[in-house]
Amino acid sequence: MFLKNIMANLKKYSFLLQQLISRDFKVKYKRSVLGVLWSLLYPILTMAVMAIVFSNVFKMSTPGVNYLAYLLSGLVMFNYFSEASNLAMSSVVANFSLINKIYIPKYIFPLSKCLFVGINFLLTLIPLYIVLFATGTGVNIYHLMLPYAFICLFMFTLGMGFILSAVSVFLRDMFYIYGIIIMLWTYLTPIMYDIKLISVELQTLFKLNPMYHYINFAREIILYHRIPQPFTWMVCLGSSLAVLLIGVVVFRKTQDKFIYYV
Amino acid sequence: MIKVDNVSMKFNLGIEKNFSLKLFFINLFKSKKNKPKKETFWALKDVSFEVKKGEVIGFVGSNGAGKSTMLKVIAGVMKPTIGKVTVNGNICPMIELGAGFDPELTARENIYLNGAVLGYSKEFLKSKFNEIVDFSELRDFLDVPVRNFSSGMTARLAFSIATIVDPEILIVDEILSVGDIAFQQKSEEKMKSMINGGTTVLFVSHSLEQIKKICTKAVWLDHGTVKMIGNTEEVCNAYYESQMK
Repeated sequence: MFLKNIMANLKKYSFLLQQLISRDFKVKYKRSVLGVLWSLLYPILTMAVMAIVFSNVFKMSTPGVNYLAYLLSGLVMFNYFSEASNLAMSSVVANFSLINKIYIPKYIFPLSKCLFVGINFLLTLIPLYIVLFATGTGVNIYHLMLPYAFICLFMFTLGMGFILSAVSVFLRDMFYIYGIIIMLWTYLTPIMYDIKLISVELQTLFKLNPMYHYINFAREIILYHRIPQPFTWMVCLGSSLAVLLIGVVVFRKTQDKFIYYV
Repeated sequence: MIKVDNVSMKFNLGIEKNFSLKLFFINLFKSKKNKPKKETFWALKDVSFEVKKGEVIGFVGSNGAGKSTMLKVIAGVMKPTIGKVTVNGNICPMIELGAGFDPELTARENIYLNGAVLGYSKEFLKSKFNEIVDFSELRDFLDVPVRNFSSGMTARLAFSIATIVDPEILIVDEILSVGDIAFQQKSEEKMKSMINGGTTVLFVSHSLEQIKKICTKAVWLDHGTVKMIGNTEEVCNAYYESQMK
Protein backbone atom coordinates (compact mmCIF):
# COMPACT_ATOMS: atom_id res chain seq x y z
CA MET A 1 0.00 0.00 0.00
CA PHE A 2 2.73 2.38 1.05
CA LEU A 3 4.86 1.32 -1.89
CA LYS A 4 1.92 1.62 -4.25
CA ASN A 5 1.37 5.18 -3.08
CA ILE A 6 4.98 6.05 -3.75
CA MET A 7 4.83 4.58 -7.24
CA ALA A 8 1.65 6.49 -8.10
CA ASN A 9 3.22 9.66 -6.77
CA LEU A 10 6.42 9.11 -8.70
CA LYS A 11 4.45 8.54 -11.88
CA LYS A 12 2.51 11.72 -11.36
CA TYR A 13 5.64 13.78 -10.86
CA SER A 14 7.91 11.92 -13.27
CA PHE A 15 7.64 14.71 -15.83
CA LEU A 16 8.66 17.29 -13.25
CA LEU A 17 11.54 15.05 -12.19
CA GLN A 18 12.65 14.72 -15.78
CA GLN A 19 12.43 18.48 -16.28
CA LEU A 20 14.43 19.21 -13.14
CA ILE A 21 17.17 16.81 -14.20
CA SER A 22 17.36 18.20 -17.73
CA ARG A 23 17.43 21.69 -16.26
CA ASP A 24 20.46 20.75 -14.18
CA PHE A 25 22.20 19.38 -17.23
CA LYS A 26 21.51 22.42 -19.35
CA VAL A 27 22.56 24.86 -16.65
CA LYS A 28 25.70 22.90 -15.85
CA TYR A 29 27.09 22.79 -19.35
CA LYS A 30 25.49 25.74 -21.06
CA ARG A 31 28.26 28.24 -20.76
CA SER A 32 31.29 25.97 -20.91
CA VAL A 33 33.13 25.42 -24.17
CA LEU A 34 33.76 21.72 -23.71
CA GLY A 35 30.29 21.09 -22.29
CA VAL A 36 29.49 17.51 -21.47
CA LEU A 37 33.07 16.47 -22.27
CA TRP A 38 33.93 17.76 -18.82
CA SER A 39 32.12 14.82 -17.29
CA LEU A 40 34.71 12.60 -18.97
CA LEU A 41 37.73 14.82 -18.54
CA TYR A 42 37.20 15.74 -14.92
CA PRO A 43 37.62 12.28 -13.35
CA ILE A 44 40.59 11.57 -15.63
CA LEU A 45 42.31 14.77 -14.59
CA THR A 46 41.57 14.25 -10.89
CA MET A 47 42.94 10.76 -11.21
CA ALA A 48 46.06 12.05 -12.93
CA VAL A 49 46.71 14.59 -10.20
CA MET A 50 46.16 12.06 -7.44
CA ALA A 51 48.24 9.43 -9.20
CA ILE A 52 51.15 11.83 -9.51
CA VAL A 53 50.89 12.85 -5.88
CA PHE A 54 50.32 9.46 -4.33
CA SER A 55 52.40 7.14 -6.47
CA ASN A 56 55.38 9.46 -6.95
CA VAL A 57 55.48 11.57 -3.82
CA PHE A 58 54.15 9.07 -1.27
CA LYS A 59 55.32 5.99 -3.19
CA MET A 60 51.89 4.44 -2.85
CA SER A 61 51.33 1.19 -4.68
CA THR A 62 48.84 -1.63 -4.75
CA PRO A 63 50.54 -5.01 -5.15
CA GLY A 64 49.10 -7.18 -7.87
CA VAL A 65 46.84 -4.60 -9.47
CA ASN A 66 47.37 -1.45 -11.46
CA TYR A 67 47.39 1.62 -9.27
CA LEU A 68 45.61 3.84 -11.80
CA ALA A 69 42.75 1.38 -12.14
CA TYR A 70 42.64 1.01 -8.37
CA LEU A 71 42.51 4.75 -7.86
CA LEU A 72 39.94 5.55 -10.52
CA SER A 73 37.52 2.76 -9.58
CA GLY A 74 37.35 4.13 -6.04
CA LEU A 75 37.36 7.71 -7.15
CA VAL A 76 34.37 7.62 -9.51
CA MET A 77 32.22 5.97 -6.88
CA PHE A 78 33.23 8.27 -4.07
CA ASN A 79 32.91 11.32 -6.29
CA TYR A 80 29.36 10.30 -7.05
CA PHE A 81 28.58 10.09 -3.37
CA SER A 82 30.24 13.34 -2.41
CA GLU A 83 28.80 15.39 -5.26
CA ALA A 84 25.29 13.95 -5.09
CA SER A 85 25.00 14.22 -1.32
CA ASN A 86 26.29 17.77 -1.41
CA LEU A 87 23.85 18.87 -4.11
CA ALA A 88 20.98 17.02 -2.46
CA MET A 89 21.76 18.72 0.83
CA SER A 90 21.31 22.21 -0.59
CA SER A 91 18.46 21.26 -2.93
CA VAL A 92 15.63 21.91 -0.51
CA VAL A 93 16.99 25.21 0.75
CA ALA A 94 17.79 26.33 -2.79
CA ASN A 95 14.22 25.71 -3.90
CA PHE A 96 12.55 27.50 -1.04
CA SER A 97 11.05 30.09 -3.36
CA LEU A 98 9.14 27.27 -5.04
CA ILE A 99 8.24 25.32 -1.93
CA ASN A 100 6.89 28.51 -0.45
CA LYS A 101 4.44 29.07 -3.28
CA ILE A 102 3.31 25.86 -4.85
CA TYR A 103 2.67 22.43 -3.46
CA ILE A 104 5.31 20.07 -4.80
CA PRO A 105 6.36 16.94 -2.96
CA LYS A 106 9.62 18.05 -1.42
CA TYR A 107 11.43 14.75 -1.76
CA ILE A 108 11.61 15.44 -5.47
CA PHE A 109 14.48 17.89 -5.00
CA PRO A 110 17.04 15.59 -3.35
CA LEU A 111 15.86 12.76 -5.59
CA SER A 112 16.38 14.77 -8.76
CA LYS A 113 19.90 15.73 -7.66
CA CYS A 114 20.87 12.15 -6.90
CA LEU A 115 19.55 11.05 -10.29
CA PHE A 116 21.22 13.93 -12.11
CA VAL A 117 24.62 13.14 -10.61
CA GLY A 118 23.85 9.48 -11.26
CA ILE A 119 23.61 10.09 -15.00
CA ASN A 120 26.88 11.98 -14.77
CA PHE A 121 28.32 9.04 -12.90
CA LEU A 122 27.42 6.70 -15.76
CA LEU A 123 29.35 9.02 -18.07
CA THR A 124 32.40 8.81 -15.84
CA LEU A 125 32.35 5.05 -16.34
CA ILE A 126 33.61 5.69 -19.87
CA PRO A 127 37.01 7.02 -18.74
CA LEU A 128 37.11 4.24 -16.15
CA TYR A 129 36.76 1.58 -18.84
CA ILE A 130 39.29 3.36 -21.04
CA VAL A 131 41.76 3.17 -18.17
CA LEU A 132 40.88 -0.47 -17.53
CA PHE A 133 41.78 -1.35 -21.10
CA ALA A 134 44.77 0.97 -21.31
CA THR A 135 46.32 -0.48 -18.18
CA GLY A 136 45.72 -4.05 -19.27
CA THR A 137 43.34 -4.74 -16.39
CA GLY A 138 40.66 -5.81 -18.83
CA VAL A 139 37.07 -6.80 -18.18
CA ASN A 140 35.26 -10.02 -17.29
CA ILE A 141 31.78 -11.43 -17.19
CA TYR A 142 31.37 -10.44 -13.53
CA HIS A 143 31.11 -6.81 -14.60
CA LEU A 144 27.41 -7.56 -15.10
CA MET A 145 27.15 -7.62 -11.30
CA LEU A 146 28.41 -4.06 -10.93
CA PRO A 147 24.96 -2.44 -11.19
CA TYR A 148 24.20 -4.08 -7.83
CA ALA A 149 26.93 -2.00 -6.18
CA PHE A 150 25.80 1.10 -8.05
CA ILE A 151 22.20 0.68 -6.94
CA CYS A 152 23.33 0.23 -3.34
CA LEU A 153 25.52 3.32 -3.67
CA PHE A 154 22.55 5.24 -5.08
CA MET A 155 20.20 4.21 -2.28
CA PHE A 156 22.80 5.06 0.35
CA THR A 157 23.45 8.46 -1.23
CA LEU A 158 19.73 9.18 -1.55
CA GLY A 159 19.21 8.32 2.10
CA MET A 160 22.07 10.60 3.10
CA GLY A 161 20.63 13.28 0.81
CA PHE A 162 17.28 13.08 2.58
CA ILE A 163 18.88 13.34 6.01
CA LEU A 164 21.23 16.17 5.05
CA SER A 165 18.65 18.23 3.19
CA ALA A 166 16.21 17.99 6.09
CA VAL A 167 18.82 18.82 8.72
CA SER A 168 20.28 21.73 6.75
CA VAL A 169 16.87 23.40 6.63
CA PHE A 170 16.91 23.72 10.41
CA LEU A 171 20.64 24.10 10.81
CA ARG A 172 22.34 26.07 8.06
CA ASP A 173 25.70 25.41 9.67
CA MET A 174 25.36 21.96 8.17
CA PHE A 175 26.73 23.21 4.86
CA TYR A 176 30.06 24.00 6.50
CA ILE A 177 30.06 21.04 8.82
CA TYR A 178 29.40 18.63 5.99
CA GLY A 179 32.21 20.13 3.94
CA ILE A 180 34.59 19.08 6.69
CA ILE A 181 32.91 15.72 7.17
CA ILE A 182 33.18 14.86 3.51
CA MET A 183 36.86 15.78 3.48
CA LEU A 184 37.47 13.52 6.46
CA TRP A 185 35.35 10.83 4.82
CA THR A 186 37.44 10.98 1.65
CA TYR A 187 40.61 10.21 3.57
CA LEU A 188 39.04 7.59 5.81
CA THR A 189 37.77 5.65 2.81
CA PRO A 190 40.46 3.55 1.16
CA ILE A 191 40.36 5.26 -2.22
CA MET A 192 43.98 6.11 -2.83
CA TYR A 193 45.49 3.58 -0.47
CA ASP A 194 44.96 -0.09 0.23
CA ILE A 195 43.10 -0.91 3.43
CA LYS A 196 45.81 -3.50 4.20
CA LEU A 197 48.26 -0.66 4.80
CA ILE A 198 46.63 0.19 8.10
CA SER A 199 46.72 -1.81 11.31
CA VAL A 200 44.30 -4.68 11.77
CA GLU A 201 42.45 -3.05 14.67
CA LEU A 202 41.88 0.10 12.66
CA GLN A 203 40.75 -1.94 9.67
CA THR A 204 37.73 -3.17 11.62
CA LEU A 205 36.86 0.42 12.35
CA PHE A 206 37.33 1.46 8.71
CA LYS A 207 34.99 -1.30 7.64
CA LEU A 208 32.11 0.33 9.47
CA ASN A 209 32.08 2.81 6.63
CA PRO A 210 29.47 1.69 4.07
CA MET A 211 31.32 3.50 1.29
CA TYR A 212 34.23 1.09 1.75
CA HIS A 213 31.98 -1.86 1.01
CA TYR A 214 30.41 -0.44 -2.16
CA ILE A 215 33.85 0.40 -3.51
CA ASN A 216 35.24 -2.92 -2.34
CA PHE A 217 32.43 -4.76 -4.11
CA ALA A 218 33.27 -3.02 -7.38
CA ARG A 219 37.02 -3.53 -6.94
CA GLU A 220 36.69 -7.25 -6.28
CA ILE A 221 35.13 -7.53 -9.72
CA ILE A 222 37.08 -4.91 -11.63
CA LEU A 223 40.58 -5.48 -10.26
CA TYR A 224 40.63 -9.00 -8.88
CA HIS A 225 38.23 -10.58 -11.39
CA ARG A 226 36.27 -12.50 -8.79
CA ILE A 227 32.77 -12.57 -7.37
CA PRO A 228 32.49 -10.59 -4.12
CA GLN A 229 31.98 -12.54 -0.90
CA PRO A 230 28.37 -13.17 0.16
CA PHE A 231 29.12 -11.05 3.22
CA THR A 232 29.95 -8.08 1.00
CA TRP A 233 26.70 -8.53 -0.92
CA MET A 234 24.75 -8.45 2.32
CA VAL A 235 26.57 -5.52 3.88
CA CYS A 236 26.06 -3.44 0.74
CA LEU A 237 22.34 -4.06 0.58
CA GLY A 238 21.79 -3.88 4.32
CA SER A 239 23.62 -0.63 4.92
CA SER A 240 22.10 1.14 1.93
CA LEU A 241 18.55 0.06 2.76
CA ALA A 242 19.01 1.06 6.39
CA VAL A 243 20.30 4.53 5.54
CA LEU A 244 17.62 5.04 2.90
CA LEU A 245 14.95 4.06 5.41
CA ILE A 246 16.31 6.42 8.06
CA GLY A 247 16.47 9.18 5.45
CA VAL A 248 12.88 8.65 4.36
CA VAL A 249 11.63 8.64 7.95
CA VAL A 250 13.59 11.78 8.92
CA PHE A 251 12.46 13.60 5.79
CA ARG A 252 8.81 12.66 6.15
CA LYS A 253 8.74 13.61 9.81
CA THR A 254 10.23 17.04 9.25
CA GLN A 255 9.03 18.14 5.82
CA ASP A 256 5.91 19.92 7.03
CA LYS A 257 8.03 22.16 9.22
CA PHE A 258 10.40 23.23 6.41
CA ILE A 259 8.19 26.11 5.47
CA TYR A 260 8.68 27.88 8.82
CA TYR A 261 12.44 27.98 8.43
CA VAL A 262 12.60 29.80 5.13
CA MET B 1 -15.70 22.88 -3.20
CA ILE B 2 -13.43 24.37 -0.56
CA LYS B 3 -14.13 24.01 3.11
CA VAL B 4 -12.06 25.76 5.72
CA ASP B 5 -12.76 24.43 9.20
CA ASN B 6 -11.56 26.32 12.29
CA VAL B 7 -8.15 26.85 10.80
CA SER B 8 -5.44 28.39 12.96
CA MET B 9 -1.90 28.97 11.93
CA LYS B 10 0.96 29.55 14.34
CA PHE B 11 4.38 30.98 13.51
CA ASN B 12 7.38 31.14 15.78
CA LEU B 13 8.85 34.56 15.33
CA GLY B 14 12.03 33.82 17.24
CA ILE B 15 12.99 30.89 15.09
CA GLU B 16 15.63 32.57 13.01
CA LYS B 17 17.61 33.74 16.00
CA ASN B 18 17.42 30.42 17.79
CA PHE B 19 18.85 28.35 15.04
CA SER B 20 22.48 28.86 14.62
CA LEU B 21 24.82 26.33 16.06
CA LYS B 22 26.45 28.85 18.34
CA LEU B 23 23.20 29.89 19.95
CA PHE B 24 22.09 26.31 20.08
CA PHE B 25 25.07 25.46 22.26
CA ILE B 26 24.75 28.60 24.32
CA ASN B 27 21.14 27.72 24.96
CA LEU B 28 22.11 24.23 26.00
CA PHE B 29 24.06 25.62 28.90
CA LYS B 30 21.62 28.28 29.86
CA SER B 31 19.22 27.47 32.62
CA LYS B 32 15.63 27.15 31.58
CA LYS B 33 14.65 30.39 33.23
CA ASN B 34 17.00 32.50 31.17
CA LYS B 35 15.90 31.05 27.89
CA PRO B 36 14.18 33.61 25.76
CA LYS B 37 10.56 32.77 25.40
CA LYS B 38 9.68 31.78 21.91
CA GLU B 39 7.46 34.47 20.56
CA THR B 40 4.54 32.97 18.79
CA PHE B 41 2.32 34.69 16.34
CA TRP B 42 -1.03 33.48 15.19
CA ALA B 43 -1.35 34.44 11.55
CA LEU B 44 -4.79 32.85 11.41
CA LYS B 45 -7.12 32.35 14.32
CA ASP B 46 -10.06 30.02 14.05
CA VAL B 47 -10.99 30.86 10.48
CA SER B 48 -13.92 29.04 8.94
CA PHE B 49 -15.72 29.55 5.68
CA GLU B 50 -16.95 27.67 2.70
CA VAL B 51 -16.59 28.31 -1.00
CA LYS B 52 -19.01 26.85 -3.49
CA LYS B 53 -18.24 25.94 -7.05
CA GLY B 54 -18.10 28.91 -9.38
CA GLU B 55 -17.89 31.52 -6.64
CA VAL B 56 -15.37 34.31 -6.89
CA ILE B 57 -14.14 35.21 -3.43
CA GLY B 58 -12.19 38.35 -2.72
CA PHE B 59 -10.00 38.65 0.35
CA VAL B 60 -9.49 42.09 1.82
CA GLY B 61 -7.57 43.22 4.87
CA SER B 62 -4.56 45.27 5.84
CA ASN B 63 -0.97 44.05 5.49
CA GLY B 64 -0.25 41.10 7.71
CA ALA B 65 -3.91 40.26 8.19
CA GLY B 66 -3.30 36.70 7.00
CA LYS B 67 -4.59 36.86 3.45
CA SER B 68 -1.60 35.29 1.78
CA THR B 69 -1.24 32.75 4.58
CA MET B 70 -4.87 31.77 4.04
CA LEU B 71 -4.24 31.19 0.34
CA LYS B 72 -1.09 29.19 1.06
CA VAL B 73 -2.98 26.96 3.45
CA ILE B 74 -5.65 26.35 0.84
CA ALA B 75 -3.05 25.71 -1.85
CA GLY B 76 -1.50 23.03 0.37
CA VAL B 77 1.82 24.84 0.72
CA MET B 78 1.39 25.03 4.48
CA LYS B 79 -0.39 22.70 6.80
CA PRO B 80 -2.62 24.43 9.35
CA THR B 81 -1.52 24.15 12.97
CA ILE B 82 -5.10 23.45 14.01
CA GLY B 83 -8.14 22.76 11.89
CA LYS B 84 -8.71 21.30 8.50
CA VAL B 85 -8.98 22.41 4.90
CA THR B 86 -10.79 20.25 2.38
CA VAL B 87 -10.43 21.02 -1.29
CA ASN B 88 -12.17 19.23 -4.12
CA GLY B 89 -10.68 19.95 -7.50
CA ASN B 90 -7.35 20.85 -9.00
CA ILE B 91 -5.80 24.11 -7.94
CA CYS B 92 -3.88 26.52 -10.10
CA PRO B 93 -1.94 28.77 -7.77
CA MET B 94 -0.90 32.05 -9.29
CA ILE B 95 0.91 33.17 -6.18
CA GLU B 96 3.85 35.21 -7.39
CA LEU B 97 4.28 34.23 -10.97
CA GLY B 98 7.42 32.79 -12.39
CA ALA B 99 8.69 31.21 -9.20
CA GLY B 100 9.52 28.13 -11.20
CA PHE B 101 11.66 29.88 -13.79
CA ASP B 102 15.33 29.22 -14.15
CA PRO B 103 17.03 32.38 -15.41
CA GLU B 104 19.69 30.43 -17.30
CA LEU B 105 17.21 28.57 -19.45
CA THR B 106 15.51 29.92 -22.56
CA ALA B 107 11.85 30.84 -22.66
CA ARG B 108 11.12 27.64 -24.56
CA GLU B 109 12.80 25.48 -21.90
CA ASN B 110 11.18 27.45 -19.12
CA ILE B 111 7.72 26.85 -20.51
CA TYR B 112 8.28 23.13 -20.02
CA LEU B 113 9.99 23.51 -16.66
CA ASN B 114 7.43 25.86 -15.19
CA GLY B 115 4.60 23.82 -16.68
CA ALA B 116 5.97 20.74 -14.97
CA VAL B 117 6.23 22.63 -11.70
CA LEU B 118 2.57 23.56 -12.02
CA GLY B 119 1.76 19.90 -12.53
CA TYR B 120 0.96 19.82 -16.26
CA SER B 121 1.70 16.72 -18.27
CA LYS B 122 4.14 16.56 -21.16
CA GLU B 123 1.49 15.88 -23.78
CA PHE B 124 -0.63 18.73 -22.51
CA LEU B 125 2.25 21.18 -22.68
CA LYS B 126 3.20 20.05 -26.16
CA SER B 127 -0.32 20.55 -27.44
CA LYS B 128 -0.69 23.94 -25.77
CA PHE B 129 2.81 25.22 -26.50
CA ASN B 130 1.81 27.47 -29.38
CA GLU B 131 -1.15 28.83 -27.49
CA ILE B 132 1.11 29.83 -24.60
CA VAL B 133 3.60 31.50 -26.91
CA ASP B 134 0.91 33.35 -28.82
CA PHE B 135 -0.74 34.62 -25.69
CA SER B 136 2.52 35.89 -24.25
CA GLU B 137 3.44 37.51 -27.61
CA LEU B 138 7.03 36.46 -27.06
CA ARG B 139 7.58 34.30 -30.13
CA ASP B 140 10.64 36.28 -31.20
CA PHE B 141 12.29 35.69 -27.84
CA LEU B 142 11.69 31.96 -27.51
CA ASP B 143 15.35 31.05 -27.55
CA VAL B 144 16.57 33.86 -25.34
CA PRO B 145 17.51 33.00 -21.75
CA VAL B 146 14.96 34.37 -19.32
CA ARG B 147 17.68 36.22 -17.41
CA ASN B 148 17.76 38.65 -20.34
CA PHE B 149 14.02 39.30 -20.14
CA SER B 150 12.55 42.44 -18.69
CA SER B 151 10.38 41.94 -15.63
CA GLY B 152 7.29 42.63 -17.70
CA MET B 153 8.21 40.00 -20.25
CA THR B 154 8.90 37.44 -17.52
CA ALA B 155 5.54 38.15 -15.95
CA ARG B 156 3.78 37.82 -19.28
CA LEU B 157 5.34 34.46 -19.93
CA ALA B 158 4.51 33.28 -16.43
CA PHE B 159 0.91 34.44 -16.70
CA SER B 160 0.49 32.72 -20.05
CA ILE B 161 1.77 29.43 -18.68
CA ALA B 162 -0.26 29.59 -15.47
CA THR B 163 -3.56 30.33 -17.18
CA ILE B 164 -3.33 27.83 -20.03
CA VAL B 165 -5.21 25.23 -18.01
CA ASP B 166 -8.84 25.47 -17.07
CA PRO B 167 -8.34 24.83 -13.38
CA GLU B 168 -11.28 24.17 -11.13
CA ILE B 169 -9.84 26.50 -8.53
CA LEU B 170 -7.72 29.51 -9.31
CA ILE B 171 -5.75 31.30 -6.62
CA VAL B 172 -4.72 34.82 -7.50
CA ASP B 173 -2.53 36.96 -5.29
CA GLU B 174 -2.22 40.47 -6.71
CA ILE B 175 -1.25 39.71 -10.24
CA LEU B 176 -3.57 41.63 -12.47
CA SER B 177 -1.01 44.38 -12.73
CA VAL B 178 1.16 42.34 -15.06
CA GLY B 179 2.91 43.80 -18.08
CA ASP B 180 1.91 46.87 -20.06
CA ILE B 181 -1.60 48.27 -20.40
CA ALA B 182 -2.47 46.17 -23.41
CA PHE B 183 -1.39 42.99 -21.67
CA GLN B 184 -3.15 43.99 -18.46
CA GLN B 185 -6.39 44.22 -20.36
CA LYS B 186 -5.73 40.94 -22.07
CA SER B 187 -5.01 39.20 -18.78
CA GLU B 188 -8.10 40.68 -17.19
CA GLU B 189 -10.20 39.38 -20.05
CA LYS B 190 -8.61 35.98 -19.70
CA MET B 191 -9.49 35.99 -16.00
CA LYS B 192 -13.05 36.93 -16.78
CA SER B 193 -13.42 34.18 -19.33
CA MET B 194 -12.11 31.71 -16.78
CA ILE B 195 -14.61 32.97 -14.22
CA ASN B 196 -17.43 32.74 -16.72
CA GLY B 197 -16.32 29.22 -17.51
CA GLY B 198 -17.22 28.24 -13.95
CA THR B 199 -13.81 28.37 -12.30
CA THR B 200 -13.81 28.99 -8.59
CA VAL B 201 -11.52 31.91 -7.85
CA LEU B 202 -9.83 33.03 -4.65
CA PHE B 203 -8.57 36.52 -5.12
CA VAL B 204 -6.40 38.73 -2.96
CA SER B 205 -6.01 42.37 -3.82
CA HIS B 206 -5.60 45.73 -2.21
CA SER B 207 -7.59 47.28 -5.01
CA LEU B 208 -11.19 47.36 -3.80
CA GLU B 209 -12.18 48.45 -7.31
CA GLN B 210 -10.94 45.19 -8.75
CA ILE B 211 -12.60 43.15 -6.04
CA LYS B 212 -15.90 44.86 -6.50
CA LYS B 213 -15.64 44.36 -10.23
CA ILE B 214 -15.07 40.63 -10.31
CA CYS B 215 -15.94 39.06 -6.97
CA THR B 216 -19.28 37.60 -5.97
CA LYS B 217 -18.40 37.37 -2.29
CA ALA B 218 -15.81 38.91 -0.04
CA VAL B 219 -13.99 37.94 3.13
CA TRP B 220 -12.47 40.58 5.37
CA LEU B 221 -9.57 39.30 7.41
CA ASP B 222 -8.31 41.29 10.34
CA HIS B 223 -5.37 40.14 12.44
CA GLY B 224 -5.99 36.57 11.48
CA THR B 225 -9.68 36.43 12.19
CA VAL B 226 -12.66 36.75 9.89
CA LYS B 227 -14.16 40.13 10.59
CA MET B 228 -16.86 40.00 8.01
CA ILE B 229 -18.00 37.73 5.25
CA GLY B 230 -20.70 38.14 2.64
CA ASN B 231 -21.82 40.55 -0.03
CA THR B 232 -18.86 42.11 -1.84
CA GLU B 233 -20.18 45.65 -1.79
CA GLU B 234 -21.00 45.64 1.91
CA VAL B 235 -17.75 44.04 3.02
CA CYS B 236 -15.64 46.35 0.87
CA ASN B 237 -17.44 49.43 2.12
CA ALA B 238 -17.16 48.39 5.75
CA TYR B 239 -13.47 47.65 5.29
CA TYR B 240 -12.90 50.97 3.53
CA GLU B 241 -14.60 52.88 6.32
CA SER B 242 -12.58 51.15 9.01
CA GLN B 243 -9.40 52.05 7.19
CA MET B 244 -10.32 55.68 6.77
CA LYS B 245 -10.91 56.28 10.46
